[in-house]
Amino acid sequence: MRQTMKYASVFAVAALALTACGSDSADSTDTGTADGTETSTAEEASDVRVGMAYDVGGRGDQSFNDAAAAGLDQAAAEFGIETQEATATDGEPESAREERLQQLIDAGYTSIVAVGFAYAPSIAVVAPQNPDVHFALIDSTDYEGENVANLVFAEEEGSFLVGAAAALKTRTDNVGFIGGVQTPLIEKFEAGYIAGAQEINPDIEIQRTYLTQPPDFSGFGDPAKGKTAAEGMYQSGADVIYHAAGGSGGGVFTAASEANTMAIGVDSDQAKTAAPEVQDVIITSMIKKVDVAVYEFLKAEVEGNFQAGPQVFDLAGGGVDYSTTGGKVDDIKDQLDELKQQIIDGEITVPSTPES
Amino acid sequence: MTAAAPEHERAIEDSTYVVELDGITKRFPGVVANKDIGFAVRRGTVHAIVGENGAGKSTLMKILYGVQRPDEGTIKVGGTVVDLHSPSDAIGYGIGMVFQHFMLADNLTVLENVVLGAEDLHGIGGTARDRILEISRDYSLDVDPDVLVADLGVGARQRVEILKVLYRGAKIIILDEPTAVLVPQEVDELFDNLRELKSEGLTVLFISHKLDEVLRVADAITVIRRGTTVDTVSPQGITARQLAELMVGSELPTPQTEESTVTDQVILRVEDLVLKGPSRNVLDGVSFAIHAGEVLGIAGVEGNGQAELVEVIMGMRDQDTGQIFVDDTEVSKWHTRQIREAGIGYIPEDRHRHGLLLEAPLWENRILGHQTQEPNVKGGLINAKAARQDTERIVEEYDVRTPGIDVTAGSLSGGNQQKLIVGREMSHHPRVLVAAHPTRGVDVGAQAGIWDLMRAARREGMGVLLISADLEELIGLSDTIRVILRGRLSEAFDPDTVTAEDLGAAMTGADSSVTHPPAGPPHTPESPEGSAT
Amino acid sequence: MSRLEPRKILLPLVAPVVAVIVAFIVTSLVLLAVGDPVLEVWQVIFQPPLPRQTVNIINAATVFYLSAVAVAIGFKMNLFNIGVDGQYRVASFAAAVFAGQAWLPGVLNILVAILVAMVFGGLWAGIAGWLKVKRGVSEVISTIMLNAIATAVVAWLLSKARDPASEGTNVVRTRELPESSRLEGLAIVPGATNTVYTLIFLAALVGVTYWFVLNKTRFGFDLRATGKSETAAVASGVDVKKMTLTAMILSGAAAGLVGMPLLFGQDFSYGTTFQAGLGFAGIAIALLGRNHPVGIAFAALLWAFLDGQSNALQIQANVSKELVFIIQGVILFAVVIAYELVRRAEARMEQNRVARQLEERHAATAEQGVSA
Repeated sequence: MRQTMKYASVFAVAALALTACGSDSADSTDTGTADGTETSTAEEASDVRVGMAYDVGGRGDQSFNDAAAAGLDQAAAEFGIETQEATATDGEPESAREERLQQLIDAGYTSIVAVGFAYAPSIAVVAPQNPDVHFALIDSTDYEGENVANLVFAEEEGSFLVGAAAALKTRTDNVGFIGGVQTPLIEKFEAGYIAGAQEINPDIEIQRTYLTQPPDFSGFGDPAKGKTAAEGMYQSGADVIYHAAGGSGGGVFTAASEANTMAIGVDSDQAKTAAPEVQDVIITSMIKKVDVAVYEFLKAEVEGNFQAGPQVFDLAGGGVDYSTTGGKVDDIKDQLDELKQQIIDGEITVPSTPES
Repeated sequence: MTAAAPEHERAIEDSTYVVELDGITKRFPGVVANKDIGFAVRRGTVHAIVGENGAGKSTLMKILYGVQRPDEGTIKVGGTVVDLHSPSDAIGYGIGMVFQHFMLADNLTVLENVVLGAEDLHGIGGTARDRILEISRDYSLDVDPDVLVADLGVGARQRVEILKVLYRGAKIIILDEPTAVLVPQEVDELFDNLRELKSEGLTVLFISHKLDEVLRVADAITVIRRGTTVDTVSPQGITARQLAELMVGSELPTPQTEESTVTDQVILRVEDLVLKGPSRNVLDGVSFAIHAGEVLGIAGVEGNGQAELVEVIMGMRDQDTGQIFVDDTEVSKWHTRQIREAGIGYIPEDRHRHGLLLEAPLWENRILGHQTQEPNVKGGLINAKAARQDTERIVEEYDVRTPGIDVTAGSLSGGNQQKLIVGREMSHHPRVLVAAHPTRGVDVGAQAGIWDLMRAARREGMGVLLISADLEELIGLSDTIRVILRGRLSEAFDPDTVTAEDLGAAMTGADSSVTHPPAGPPHTPESPEGSAT
Repeated sequence: MSRLEPRKILLPLVAPVVAVIVAFIVTSLVLLAVGDPVLEVWQVIFQPPLPRQTVNIINAATVFYLSAVAVAIGFKMNLFNIGVDGQYRVASFAAAVFAGQAWLPGVLNILVAILVAMVFGGLWAGIAGWLKVKRGVSEVISTIMLNAIATAVVAWLLSKARDPASEGTNVVRTRELPESSRLEGLAIVPGATNTVYTLIFLAALVGVTYWFVLNKTRFGFDLRATGKSETAAVASGVDVKKMTLTAMILSGAAAGLVGMPLLFGQDFSYGTTFQAGLGFAGIAIALLGRNHPVGIAFAALLWAFLDGQSNALQIQANVSKELVFIIQGVILFAVVIAYELVRRAEARMEQNRVARQLEERHAATAEQGVSA
């Protein structure tokens, strides 16, 4: 028995070490920037105190959480608001999320930004208990309340544009979509992308896959899975792939780089933020301006204009867009902008659920 | 200390002590393995270290070979104090060791085995072969460098081990219980080799607990008891019995045959057991019957199927064909637990592996093997109170030396562990007792006790299957002796008339009943040289 | 297992206490090295938990406890069941689907669903046990693989069994339990708005059963004997293969219970928000608690307490939450080393004691001239 116990000890310690390492890299900037209750010296200091509750990965994840952090930083600099941040741990109990929100409130932060739909159930518990606190819930309308602003995006509209870009750029009339985890949120990306591609070429072949199914969320953070899926699509004739798979997207870019094909980024302008050696394959990105949403929410807080309920950040409001970094879509920019205008004008209605 | 035998004048002239130990002490958890050991070894002699099992001989030799370091004391080699950190240090000082269990690779040739790890000395080719042949010739080791070790018999393997040590330049050779694995004829050969070595000026440290052998071959004998040196004596002035008394510190008990208690009631019958092995049958048609009150002794060199026979009978291993009956009930397919419940007691060969839970307290060990029987259980529950009480009784009745029943089995000495096992098995009044090497590694006092218990049990009508490598034990206890060789049983020998030589012949197959010759060259028994050195 | 001797009780306590102290020192050094406020961190950690936090700690510990007992059952048999994670997820899903159907009323629904969880957990672990017995596949390998398979199977089945009511939201879950099968919890902590899982009783029952079966029954004896020495167990008549399979299934059945407090006391369905990774925490806690039912309880509380500090450390001390992993890791590491040292020290002490007492006795008998 002793032998087994020894191996088990090594295993358990190693597992802990790996957990710590894993999140360490993502959080390396955490202690630096989040070093607390720094009050900006800009203009006149506001009395708004903001608590940010990040999803797993937190500030420094070069993705969704980082975008939210950027919005926070901008608002903090501009309005001189006091901020505090806390990040979720992988595999934590539901109570830990509630506790995070409640502790921020207990520490005197009265504007709480919850980054990610995973906070919806916690806000459902904490918001009614703290009616004087304002909450922003990003990416979810699963819970709506008098003191909760649901900051959601018209991802399908931005995806429509990059779908059109893919259809215009493909030489094989074959494009791909890789979703991280098959949730309704990611299906919005898929639906818009398909509609956009078919708008250009109704007969275009579109390969679609999801890396994992809920409750397995590893599809958002597993580059190896992304790479394998992308390789399969490229081998089957696709030459442009759009990913909505968070951290797994790095694998998609690597596969594109190796196959000398094209890829489309998501959430941020990935031709700028992705690893330098693969930036070249990214022809455009569907930009989801979480930073703008956070900034707008905080601005409203400072101005005393809190508004409850869903606020959709769409093409018209600049909440989503496509990027032009690298100049790969300069030749089709006119067409894309025309489509964009049509969507804004309501001439095109983009579906938010894919036909199955 | 008396002078060594006068046949090596040169060695005597040098008269230097080649190895001197002083105040060697080594402690292990729970035991002082060596305590203030001191003796000196003259060059060109065979110096024997004797002591009962567990007296600390092996620890001492490991210290001398650099495997372990003493906590206190000094070692001098050739007059200089040395600090041995590892076997390579020891070899550097010319000390080589042949372990009881050979360390040879079966699928390599003798040459390859010898040069393995010593490639720097003479390469691995012609030079090395020449050197091996030279050593073999010089010391009459009769080793062919190009045969596979797998094809060699035990005696030949041992000579390869000795050659290996010599090849590495050893001048002092430690042999740990070299005769334990040999049949009598091979022992004689070994002793010839040892005399050869010593005539060439080498020194041999010979560890044994077989006193007659020691008296035959040694020039000086150091007796160790309870980890410390009792005395160093000359073989001339001492008898085996006196030596034994030095060893055990009390009178030597001997097994003695008693009046036969054998009845005509068969209680364990085995018919035509066959257990297939990878190349040949491990058990090849074994049949025997044990009557109430009978002790059937099975002699044989280890590895001839004894262990497997026991495991098949105990249901720990399934035979390929053949039947086993207890009384008239066939138990061939029964599970170990059923067999134990049917009244077969079991004293396993390796008590640490099969007989005890070393980390569990004594009273839990009393339950082991009888988990379904009174007084250990009541229904499906362990009856700790009754088991503890009964453990107290066993400790008392069977003279298990322990401070209490809550100590772990592992903290007892081998003999006391064995007494606990014997007591446990006897407490369930088995019909048949399967006893494999019941006194192996047990001190002489415990040995006598165990022998007495087995005789008592036999008187009460128990049948005993006694597997042993100790011929004295077999002859002393058995009503019938049979020899196992390559999975086959020989005809029965009468212990009253059989001699060690007869059994030795049967064990090696020199006997007419077996066609295969032993692996080593058959050897005619020489006239025992006993006291003549 | 043994008589109550002060030495026997105190010695095992030495290891965890030393480990916690070592963890305290090492963590302080780490904090110093990276320039974090040492004092503030300990102030935050050692501030008395608020009532609601106390409830959270107890609840988290309840779940950890079940997981650790499941692991410990394997450990006692020398089996390393890394698959508790997969087992509890499969079992929780099965139980959630069953209970969500509301075929049975109220409490009966809960009881049968718990049985369903045990059966599924046991079966899932039984696969690994069967592979080990029949094919000699190491349970370490097979349970790791079964974890991955469990992830995929549950995800696939969840997409089939998804509650239509959750369509359109980002939460994918099974049909929710009927109101009558939800356990409100126990308001036993004064001042807390939240409640302790009712199924804390289940954890206690599992702990008592674990202790009783292991130490008081023949089966438990056989199991422990096999864990201590497989060869000796075989020779004593234990059917080790059957035992391996049984132990694996029991471990899996206990693992099946891990999700029950969550299912009936908090989530009321199985889905995306169901807590993951509990099986791995169980390994650490079983090690820390030395497979002892009481030890595991304390270890689970400690683990839950430390886990609960993650938010406070970030918000009140502005320290990275990874500090919690460092503390947990150091405790585990130190405790494993300390246990081994204590075990050796104990063995040495005992052997010395035996040798000394026998020597005295020997001296006495020698004087009397009585031979052995």
